[in-house]
Amino acid sequence: MSALIQTLVDGVLIGGVYGVIAVGLSLVFGVLKIVNFAQAEFLMIGMYAGWFAWAHLGLDPIVGAFLALLIGFALGALCQRLFVQHILNAPAVAQIFLTVGLLTVLENGALLLFGSDFRTVRTPYQTIALELGPIFLSVPYLVAFVAAVAMSVLLFLLLNRTWLGRAIRATSQDRDAACLFGIDTRLIYTIAFGLGTGLTAFGGGIILSYAAVSPTAGAQFVVLMFTVVVLGGLGSVMGALVGGVIVGVIQSVSTLFMPIQLQNLVLFIVFITALAFWPQGLLGRAAR
Amino acid sequence: MLRKLAICLAAAASLSGVSVQAHAETVKIGVVLPLSGANAQFGINARNGIEMALEDLKAKGADVKLVYADVPEPNAAAAAVQRLVSRENVVGIVGSFASSITLAASEVTERTETPMITHSFADQITSRGYRYIFQVTPKATTFGEKQFQYAIDIAEKAGQKIDKIAIFYEDTAYGTAQAAGIRQAAKKAGVEVTIDDAYPLGITDVAPLINKLRRSDAQVVFPVSYFNDALLIIRTMRQQKIDLPVVGGAAGYIVPDFQKGLGEYAEDVYSIAPANYDALPEQAARYKEKYGVFMPHEALMYAAALEHMVEAVKIAGTTDPLKVRDAIAQLKKCDGFSAGIPGGCSAFGDTGLSATAFPIFVQWRGEDLVTVYPAETATAPARWAGKEVK
Repeated sequence: MSALIQTLVDGVLIGGVYGVIAVGLSLVFGVLKIVNFAQAEFLMIGMYAGWFAWAHLGLDPIVGAFLALLIGFALGALCQRLFVQHILNAPAVAQIFLTVGLLTVLENGALLLFGSDFRTVRTPYQTIALELGPIFLSVPYLVAFVAAVAMSVLLFLLLNRTWLGRAIRATSQDRDAACLFGIDTRLIYTIAFGLGTGLTAFGGGIILSYAAVSPTAGAQFVVLMFTVVVLGGLGSVMGALVGGVIVGVIQSVSTLFMPIQLQNLVLFIVFITALAFWPQGLLGRAAR
Repeated sequence: MLRKLAICLAAAASLSGVSVQAHAETVKIGVVLPLSGANAQFGINARNGIEMALEDLKAKGADVKLVYADVPEPNAAAAAVQRLVSRENVVGIVGSFASSITLAASEVTERTETPMITHSFADQITSRGYRYIFQVTPKATTFGEKQFQYAIDIAEKAGQKIDKIAIFYEDTAYGTAQAAGIRQAAKKAGVEVTIDDAYPLGITDVAPLINKLRRSDAQVVFPVSYFNDALLIIRTMRQQKIDLPVVGGAAGYIVPDFQKGLGEYAEDVYSIAPANYDALPEQAARYKEKYGVFMPHEALMYAAALEHMVEAVKIAGTTDPLKVRDAIAQLKKCDGFSAGIPGGCSAFGDTGLSATAFPIFVQWRGEDLVTVYPAETATAPARWAGKEVK
């Protein structure tokens, strides 16, 4: 019994982080209708931002994650203006090639700039766990989870309570109508893309206390990101968070009765079954 | 004796100008390594060692030119080797760190009859009956067996009897083969393996594995991992206050970053290793000065591989692949970087597998790795559960 509770707790904590990493991808798709294959590279960029903030400014990765958010936003917005803007109405193949190309450029750019070394941070809470009876609550997981949930709530408020959020949702629902109402949709596209990449970079920052960064760090998360987003419903913020927690819990609980090697097999069986019944994802499309 | 004489005569003949051609030409050697992608760090370390060996060779007047090919994935290996052989006319090839890349590359070197020396571990490399591939290191299952055996030996000397162990390994060719070695050795010794779990390469959450370890009564943990997973395993163990001896399976456990990432938690962690820099103090100091970190085993081993090949070409006195191949097979080289390989030499048996090398045990002391076992190679006494073992 305690083994089950332990895996549930671990799964929820890990899953919350998957959620915030994936929500950026969801946002970009929801607003720009583009599948950004390079999204996971912004996770890697966020991790590097957090690492440099830790190594040179002495900032805890959680604080560094906010810096990562800004850098991820700026870089994402720049990419959108320079490249993505031009292919918004292009055939899907052109969009795929652009974002896959961006993935390769960012990954190898990082290799040139930062070298191939693995970099890790050391934090005082990294090797601590809270003991609740037989249950161990990993402090780095807990900290990352709280940061992830807080950021998701902020994003939810931004999208639902502010003018900017309404403009983003309006653009996502009907670009021409939004334009007629005086919304600068080009600007909204740039902001939404930047916000999406910034959030994924933020996710990179918060996992830094337990994950090592290298130029290929994004690759480990790319498939998970897409699973989370599709499961939660492409374009939905809360869907991504819920999707993340579900993915985390499935992965974690599956290890109770299956070898850990097969945790993604279990995940994808559940995933495919879920899509057969709810092709729109579990939580519809709240952001659209 | 006769053979040695023949080699000497051949060498003398080549020096006396009978086949000046080979010596007038630059010896071109291909280096196939992953210099980008997931294994780039290891590939670059190997290149650093190779460059150091090249410096030494040039200082001795050898005219050697290296032609590099960056092969991050096995599927790029065949084309790269083909290009090196047919367009660059290399005499031989050194590489490729990852077993999967070496396996792919050696298919082409065998077909084109090009000698290749590798430091990859996988058993299959020299068990396919190929004639042109040489392995300067013992094979993966030997690493696994010794990883188990050395740990049991040291524990016994420290007065602890081991009945139950746990094995974690990443599920690539390397992890699977080495874990098989540990498993077999444990079975032979009548030691129960209470956990025997594979996990996928690139795992980001090891909590399920460590939860299982906490609930088990294993006395020693044998993780066979790359770098990120190695850090995760140690950190998560510390989180859950598990203080068992950890005996790593080379790879991630013997890179400088392991200690940088873990700090005090790296102290006393054991690992099996193909070689350690404390066997070659002079080269180790040069490496550290140049690259800022200690010389990893892949740098040492690939430096030895290059020196062995260049020496063999010199002995063969020609670039004829068959003669170079035979010279590599016959040469027993015990100086330069080869002296740093446990056993003190680079030399090959009938299958191309190293005839003299054996794995060693290293242990973390501060920012350094020291060799602690077997006794003839040790530079410091081993510590088990915090106590020095005599």
